[in-house]
Amino acid sequence: MFITINNRQIEVQTGETILQVCRRENIFIPTFCYHEAFGGQGACRMCMVEVKENGRNKNRLVAACTYPVTATIEVFTESDRVQQVRRTLVMLLKRRAAQDPYIEELAHKYEAPLLPKLKVDPQGCILCRLCILACEKMGKSAIWTVLRGIDKRIATPYDEETDECMGCKACAEICPTQAITFLEDGEKRSIWNKTFTLVSCERCGKPYATREQLEYMREQTGYETAQICEPCRKKTLASQVEKYQN
Amino acid sequence: MYIDPREYEYHSEYERMIKAYPPEQRYLLAIMQDIQKEFHYLPRLALKIISQHIGVPFSKVYAIASFYKAFSLVPKGRVVFRVCDGTACHIKNSETLIDQLHKQLGIGPGETSADGEYSLETVNCLGACALAPVMVVNGKVYGKVGPSSIEKIIKEYGGCCHGQAGK
Repeated sequence: MFITINNRQIEVQTGETILQVCRRENIFIPTFCYHEAFGGQGACRMCMVEVKENGRNKNRLVAACTYPVTATIEVFTESDRVQQVRRTLVMLLKRRAAQDPYIEELAHKYEAPLLPKLKVDPQGCILCRLCILACEKMGKSAIWTVLRGIDKRIATPYDEETDECMGCKACAEICPTQAITFLEDGEKRSIWNKTFTLVSCERCGKPYATREQLEYMREQTGYETAQICEPCRKKTLASQVEKYQN
Repeated sequence: MYIDPREYEYHSEYERMIKAYPPEQRYLLAIMQDIQKEFHYLPRLALKIISQHIGVPFSKVYAIASFYKAFSLVPKGRVVFRVCDGTACHIKNSETLIDQLHKQLGIGPGETSADGEYSLETVNCLGACALAPVMVVNGKVYGKVGPSSIEKIIKEYGGCCHGQAGK
């Protein structure tokens, strides 16, 4: 099946989302809440595009990340309407995460006006929920949204340390605005109101994981693995391959 | 996670109420409503048991518990005064009502008296504007509440011995 994106014919598979097609074809669509590992959430609305469907006289604005292509359509990723929507979105997001360079870049690109300062200091979180999904994928689900409306934020239950959190900081790593703070001093890592002891790599000596993380890995796999960090593990594997070549 | 030791006294009670439902996610709200109705709040221990029973992460159970206004995460009094402070009631002097309750019971909106007897809450609208100012006490609706009738209502629930009113 063929669809048209910005007047260009592109072959697509039925069921692919517009965003997937655009990423493959290197067509620019900004996103915050999208990650390949989880698919579209339709939360941040940055990926809005204009779609012309057969049998409809008015073009629709849809979130590209959750719109599966099932019929021949025409897509416009940078029309005036799309730009207007993105301008508003960036303007609002900039209020929540002013320091983020990507938001800054988009604000410049879409000429987003600056809103007056808020009384409350924004914490940088744009509620994209990627951290929740990352934690869930790790099998822990230590964090979720709490409260609602303007008070909504990401937190552990009762804002206390939880048994679930193992300090893997998958949440902080996936965060598009670096809003999840943690402290690390080479021996300890503090995140989500809990402090963890870091374990160092046996090869290079760099701290690379928490004790709880390794314990969890053992539990899940049933294997006792050597305490080696990711780069050293790769090096070891590569040297083994080298041995076979000679 | 810290759990108040007093909650363990009701452990079997929570368990009985929660396990009355099949272990399926769709019963989450129904269970929480039962617990809220019985104990006037959602104890940590009960949320923990719910999470284990229906197989939903604790953080998600807490997320839902904190989302709905109908649930309380802190203990509520035996008698809960819910005063409407919506537009219609506000015009009809609901503020004086709240002030009066504050004086009589010694608690402000959102607070619970130290002896666990009374809670005072404000609601944005109870949907009964024709009866403004409206107050709901433990589910019973009182309409057109004036300064004189409020004392009667408080007495009805055994009040008038707190705060400034004194014993």
